[in-house]
Amino acid sequence: MERELKQFIDQTMAKGATYVDARWYPFEESNSLVMWNGNLKALNASSESGVGVRVLYRGAWGFSASSSIGNLGDIFDKAYDNARVAAERVTFPVRLAEKDALQASFSSPNAIDPFAVPMADKVAFLQQMDAALNQPGVIQRITAVEFVKKKIIFLDSEGSQIEKTIIDVFPMLMVMGVDKDGGMQRRKFGAGRLGKTRGWETLDTEFFTAQAERITRELNELLVAEDCPKDRRSVILLPGIMFLQTHETIGHALELDRILGYELAFAGGSFVRLEDFGKLRYGTPKLTVRADATLENSPGSFGYDDDGVPAQNNLLIDKGILVGAITGRQMVEEANAKARRQIFEGSSGANRATSFYRVPIERMTNINIDPGADGDLDDIVKNTERGVILDGDKSWSIGSNREQFHFATEIGWLVEDGEVKGVLKNTTYKGETLKFYNSLTAVGDERTWQVEYVNNCGKGQPNQIMQLGHGVPVCRFDDVTVGE
Amino acid sequence: MEKNVISLLKELRAYALQKGLQAAIFYHEEDSYLMRFANSAISLNTNEHLIRLEITVYEDKKRATYSMIADPEKLEPIKKGIDIAAEIVKHAQPLSYTPTLPYYERDVIDMQAFDPFLASLTNADRLAYFNQVAQGLESDEVKLSGIFSNGITTTAQISTTSEHTQYFACTDAQIEVVLAHQQLKWEVNAQQSAQAKTDLSPDQLHNDLALMLDHYQHDQALQLPLGKYTVVFGSAALGDLLDFLAMVGPNGGNMKRGYSFLNEEKLGQRVFSSLFTLIDNPERRETFPLSYDLMGIPRKAFPLFEDGIFKAFYWEQDDADEFGATPTGHTVDHLNLAMAGGEYSLPGLEELLAMPRDEDILYIPYLHYMNIVNPSKGMITGSSRFGNLLLKKDGSIQVPYNVRITQTFEDLFGENVEWLAQEQTVHNTSSSYGKRNPSAILLPRFMCVRGIDISHSNSSY
Repeated sequence: MERELKQFIDQTMAKGATYVDARWYPFEESNSLVMWNGNLKALNASSESGVGVRVLYRGAWGFSASSSIGNLGDIFDKAYDNARVAAERVTFPVRLAEKDALQASFSSPNAIDPFAVPMADKVAFLQQMDAALNQPGVIQRITAVEFVKKKIIFLDSEGSQIEKTIIDVFPMLMVMGVDKDGGMQRRKFGAGRLGKTRGWETLDTEFFTAQAERITRELNELLVAEDCPKDRRSVILLPGIMFLQTHETIGHALELDRILGYELAFAGGSFVRLEDFGKLRYGTPKLTVRADATLENSPGSFGYDDDGVPAQNNLLIDKGILVGAITGRQMVEEANAKARRQIFEGSSGANRATSFYRVPIERMTNINIDPGADGDLDDIVKNTERGVILDGDKSWSIGSNREQFHFATEIGWLVEDGEVKGVLKNTTYKGETLKFYNSLTAVGDERTWQVEYVNNCGKGQPNQIMQLGHGVPVCRFDDVTVGE
Repeated sequence: MEKNVISLLKELRAYALQKGLQAAIFYHEEDSYLMRFANSAISLNTNEHLIRLEITVYEDKKRATYSMIADPEKLEPIKKGIDIAAEIVKHAQPLSYTPTLPYYERDVIDMQAFDPFLASLTNADRLAYFNQVAQGLESDEVKLSGIFSNGITTTAQISTTSEHTQYFACTDAQIEVVLAHQQLKWEVNAQQSAQAKTDLSPDQLHNDLALMLDHYQHDQALQLPLGKYTVVFGSAALGDLLDFLAMVGPNGGNMKRGYSFLNEEKLGQRVFSSLFTLIDNPERRETFPLSYDLMGIPRKAFPLFEDGIFKAFYWEQDDADEFGATPTGHTVDHLNLAMAGGEYSLPGLEELLAMPRDEDILYIPYLHYMNIVNPSKGMITGSSRFGNLLLKKDGSIQVPYNVRITQTFEDLFGENVEWLAQEQTVHNTSSSYGKRNPSAILLPRFMCVRGIDISHSNSSY
């Protein structure tokens, strides 16, 4: 198969293409299990395979994909024809940043392949978690886990051939109950990983049982809690919401395709401009952010992106100053040319596609905030006069240029004069991105730092879902609107 | 085409029966084309041809599903899929209820939403359409973005309970055009949905964009003071609100699970404005209807709200099985929502901007990134996008920066509804996450609501 793909790549180049790549998925398998109130609502398995071909012709992209690979030449021809038509409307011819031609492979770390585990064991894990969640006060309980395994073989006209095997496990526990005012409340655990691997072994029963007990206890506290006051206060964001804050208002805002206007028809743009790199004060000096695709245990680590560029660990924000972006080979060339200076030295290796039938676009890897020096959660609370601790994402809505946001969280705790005074329900906060990060006054140390992952980040047209991670500490922001 | 699909399904059914299985088999084929524009260029031109099969095997109260992207010319891997579903169902835990196996009472070939002319659009047609929409509107500062997505979606279903097959094919197109200022970062857009080629009207999009562009280039911009406004929602904003409403409100399963602001006590009660009527109407071809649901139940017009009165919860089969309700033909990938128009004649944007008014009116054409803040209260939030206008009572027009609303459905569709446009349009709600699933809502072009609270207002574009 690889030899055939290489032959068609060469033939397409001979017809006049300036770059061609092919991604062959020999397999992508998944198991998805959902248990709802003890009912195994979903016991699903799936598989897919196929080829996606990308052709660059006179500065324009064409793409084609099919699950029917009996006639590979047809896929290449369609991608080539699509590029030829696209070349009729070019304003900035696509150029690709330099990269090395690589013969390489990557396997995500795992001790036990979840696809070697009997389905009965997977069902048993759900049953065990369901029993742990089945407590007084809980009227809806959900336990879900998804296992993914895929092999991707990438070849391009520059001589690269890369083979990747990626395994991931995505568990989730959730409980819901009706509060004293008749409203539905919920608490969930979206699983930061233990250890440094991504396989079946990450489903540590003891750890998950403890999490199940914690969220059912917190749900019961919510059921008798008071509403979040409408106020301006400090907010102390635990990793269970700080990851999403980071995702929506740093990660998406720093995708270079958004900055350059390539997502305006759907996902939106960014308030960041090319002239901002190197000088925009994104946050206080306590804020240092990096895109780290080398983090061992996260779905945001993949070895090589779908341009064939190795995974990297790059600074995005250095002590509050914007210095980097999430980039692939195409966008860095265009950005440097439009800025008339070299902002980016090369691709940051973040161009990824969700499947063989989608084209790679700039995607977050692991967008992490460095731990700070303000102690643990207790230390931060002690130094907070009027605040609210917030955790758990419930709803999120962000302006189209990522300039402002509104979040609802699952739970809050009122803080007065350095002490936690009780649980709050229906907690929300909102703000403007730059003002918010420039009100960052405390960043927790390594004890508070936790990797959370996102397995459903949507972007692009046709739409793509991507998996990634965020390693974040507890953070405090001052003078924030809450309860609206 | 349909002969091959039906033949495949019958062969797979025979294989399942030979193995002694109770099974349902669903076929989904998409032939998708998407031309994407950014920075006034074609940034991507793509097509995908994908065939998916979903096989669900039932064993008393147990159920398991295997789905695959398949090559229909290779039958053995597909049969292996049936074997896998049969194997994993053994490990399933029995449900507390008996899941219903689909029963298809008769053969169906439904092509009501298929248009051969839309199906045969070419790359050249898509490019010509966009060039016509954008003609004379682009400049060094104002750049074109957007998509022209069209495709053919073919679905078919069979089960071991009968030999009948049900086959559906439809065509769809979704067009979105954005003009954005490179430096100032304002954006205006126009959209179109098509089920047939005759639905395509590039001139209409061109005219709407030209009008918005004129205001954005020449009228005064402002940061809107916070507070309550009379708001006219455009069809895109209204369509997305209706989509959320139908998802969390009248869904029987969501109600039973406490994830709805409606409950059984509200059946037959007035919950919204008497101007508000919303029907799930699979008789409207613009909304990409199928004549039967996935269980083989005929799809019929199903009133959800009539003159503001909440008429019924809709039930998909699995929820109906679990909660002892009667399924209503709503085991579907999308509803066919149709909201009735009102009495205020307002055929288009030009007429809206020219209408007489005795107060300032905020026009919000589009809501970006909506989410449900509190399902029990039916509270949603979202930001305006793509071309707010402030229609001043003195007849002048200003251009407000984007704003946020956080409101309940009662705030939006309740007694504060002032008027609905008589004229209807179609808002395409398709998303291409996963398999192609064209969907659209038929709705009034505009809805005017008093007392909408603007809780955030941007200080620039």
